[in-house]
Amino acid sequence: MALLAQVLLNGVLLGGLYAIMALGLALVWGVLNIVNLAHGAFIMLGGYLAWHLFTDLGIDPFLGLPITAVAMFALGYVVQRGLLNFVVRAPMFNTLLITFGIEVVITYLAQLAFSADFRTINPGYAGNNVKLGSVIIPEVRFIAFAVAIVLTLGMWIFLLKTRLGRAIRATAQNLVAARLYGVEPRHLYAMTFGIGIGLAGIAGSLYGAVSQINPYIGAALTAKCFAISIIGGLDNPLGVIVGGIVLGVIESLALLYVGATFGDVASFCVLVAVLIIRPSGLLGRTA
Amino acid sequence: MSPLLNVVGVTRRFSGLVAVNNVSFSLFEREILGVIGPNGAGKTTLISLISGTIPPTSGEIYFESQPITRFHAYRRGRLGIGRTFQIMQPFPGLSVLDNVAVGALFGHTGSGRTLANAREHAREQLHFVGLGNLSNRRADELGGPARKRLELAKALAMEPKVLLCDEVMAGLNLVEIDEVIEIIRRVRDRGISVLVIEHVIKAIKRLSDRLLVLHHGEKIADGTPDTVLSDERVVEAYLGRRRE
Amino acid sequence: MTKPRLAIVATALVVLLLAAIPWFGSDVVVQFGISTLLLAVLAQSWNIIGGYCGYPSFGNSTFYGLGSYGVAIAMAQWNLPFAVGMCLGAALAVIFAFLLGLPVLRLKGHYFAIATLALALAMTAIVSNVGIAGQNIGLVLPPLNNDFLFYELSLGLLVIATLVVFWLTKSRFGFGLIAIRENEEAAAVMGVNTTLYKVLAFALSGLFTALAGGIHAYWITFLDPDSAFDIGLNVKMIIMAVFGGPGSVLGPVLGAFVLSAISEVLASEITTVAGLFFGVVVVAAVVLMPRGLADLSRRFKSEGWRYFANNIKNYRL
Repeated sequence: MALLAQVLLNGVLLGGLYAIMALGLALVWGVLNIVNLAHGAFIMLGGYLAWHLFTDLGIDPFLGLPITAVAMFALGYVVQRGLLNFVVRAPMFNTLLITFGIEVVITYLAQLAFSADFRTINPGYAGNNVKLGSVIIPEVRFIAFAVAIVLTLGMWIFLLKTRLGRAIRATAQNLVAARLYGVEPRHLYAMTFGIGIGLAGIAGSLYGAVSQINPYIGAALTAKCFAISIIGGLDNPLGVIVGGIVLGVIESLALLYVGATFGDVASFCVLVAVLIIRPSGLLGRTA
Repeated sequence: MSPLLNVVGVTRRFSGLVAVNNVSFSLFEREILGVIGPNGAGKTTLISLISGTIPPTSGEIYFESQPITRFHAYRRGRLGIGRTFQIMQPFPGLSVLDNVAVGALFGHTGSGRTLANAREHAREQLHFVGLGNLSNRRADELGGPARKRLELAKALAMEPKVLLCDEVMAGLNLVEIDEVIEIIRRVRDRGISVLVIEHVIKAIKRLSDRLLVLHHGEKIADGTPDTVLSDERVVEAYLGRRRE
Repeated sequence: MTKPRLAIVATALVVLLLAAIPWFGSDVVVQFGISTLLLAVLAQSWNIIGGYCGYPSFGNSTFYGLGSYGVAIAMAQWNLPFAVGMCLGAALAVIFAFLLGLPVLRLKGHYFAIATLALALAMTAIVSNVGIAGQNIGLVLPPLNNDFLFYELSLGLLVIATLVVFWLTKSRFGFGLIAIRENEEAAAVMGVNTTLYKVLAFALSGLFTALAGGIHAYWITFLDPDSAFDIGLNVKMIIMAVFGGPGSVLGPVLGAFVLSAISEVLASEITTVAGLFFGVVVVAAVVLMPRGLADLSRRFKSEGWRYFANNIKNYRL
């Protein structure tokens, strides 16, 4: 019984991390209708950035989040403004291909710059645990979870309640009207993508603190983020929390009861099931 | 004489909103039935129910005395029900000729045709609606009025027995409206029954043998144009209650 | 000679030339040829469901894997001949296409792409746990050291696949697929049985992909879940098809040949940066020639270098 509780807790904590990983992808996809196949690669970059900040400058991965966030935001802004904006109105298929190309480029550049070794960010408190009854809560994982939840809620508030957030949503829905209101769509699209990549960067830092990174994790992470976004639904920014936790718990349970490889099978079967039965996701408005 | 198309007690709900409410009517051979009603009256929904694009919540539809309520849209198309779309639905990347050829290949008489034969037939339909010289243009290059004609040609290529026209005169000037009226009359003369949804009352009055009026999803009048247009309820629906 | 006749004769000549390569090409060239020809088959198969029908499948690698395992299981586990293995692989693919195609083809656009990708990922994981497929360890097939045969087989498969696509452009079925691609709702109303046609296209696409996988498995002599259901293949075949020109008869073949050649040249010249360059080529191609080589060759005559600028102008925000 205690084991089950531990496994469920692990799943939930993992779910928080998954939520923040997928949030950037879901934002860009749901709002800009850009499916970013390179999202996982950006997460990987965020991880490396945090690793360098920690290893070379001694900055704690959590305290360094704002730096990583801003740097990755800038990168995302440039990529959208300088590249993706040129294919936004092409058949959506083209964004899939171009982001794939970007993924290849990023992965290779990372391989050249960082070597293929595995890296982890190990702050001094890495091994600390908090015991709650018979369950063990690793400190680092808990902080990651907390940060993730706070940021996801913050994004939800941002999109629904703030002026910029509403402008972003409005522009995505109606370019012509947005222009008439004096909004510059190119800038807004770039801002939105920048936020999405900034979030990916944050997710990367957190990921680097709880797991290992190497230049090739991008593709698998992207696939996972797709699953999370779809299961949770793209209509509601909070969907990634639901999707993340569902996936995290399923994976942890599968790991316990059936074995490592089945974790992936379970995730993708859930994904396929959701797509067939309820494509708008668990939190989505039914079409 | 049994009706070609028989709609019996058809209702369509969209989660709480009743778009079409218990509508019944018949369409006979070689007649032009006009359907009018204020915006949101449920006219396009009714057409979508007959063409099979959406299923009814309740009610039955009969075509040539055969129940087709459970048939998918493509089956109804093959049986002989053709429709045009209010928001035009061309095949954008294809030529005008090929757009119409799809109808020739898959419609009522489609199954035996070769591509060449279908294109020949398509050419005839394009001439019929007056688009003969635009056959080789891409469909998405056409302007509004030409697109409306293309919609008609596509449906006609299916050699339907019933043609459902959804606002083919919208946005046309008086001359163009006259031309469309002429085309629809000639369609009827070819032996096809036409159901025409229209907003332009004068035009539909001239064109229709009978008139059906929908309001808030319900049928409120059904008869000859003169009778229907002087019916109190119809006037009220369009103009509101008279203030005494 | 009329233009279409000229094109057919020219193509036939090219095929004969290609068929002759194993006689005077080196071993390396023949091996490169086999890989490229099989990739061209994949691109052409994808063309059927993605290019002509308009449903961008990101999961055709599933069929490739099923074809591979069909041959591998038949030959390694049951000692049956290669031809039987190919039939088994083909049957698996077609059954899969019908069973899973029906629910998945109800989805549109991005969602369809992701559903097929998820299926592909799930298959890898599932097959890793199936005993008869050798689980994670994989299977070893009886070896056949005859690159010549594999080359001609691959070429033959490519020719047949291309002929099928050519047939699509002249047949009622193909016309229906194109109508579905251009406007599915209108197609349905005009009498096209969209559900049946989509599933048939999916199955046809899967059939050729599976056959390619079968040839590849026998050629390589070994397979395991990760290599058989290689997800990377999906993107490769799509990029080749799209680069060459989706919805055209020869576009995907051209795309496969050109991109393979570029990749090979880069790999031998500038090894470290080779993969990087591939990504750059893809990015540049999407921005400058989103409709592929086929469209480029058609429009370049009338538009010249402005073609590229026009593409950017038309699609930019």
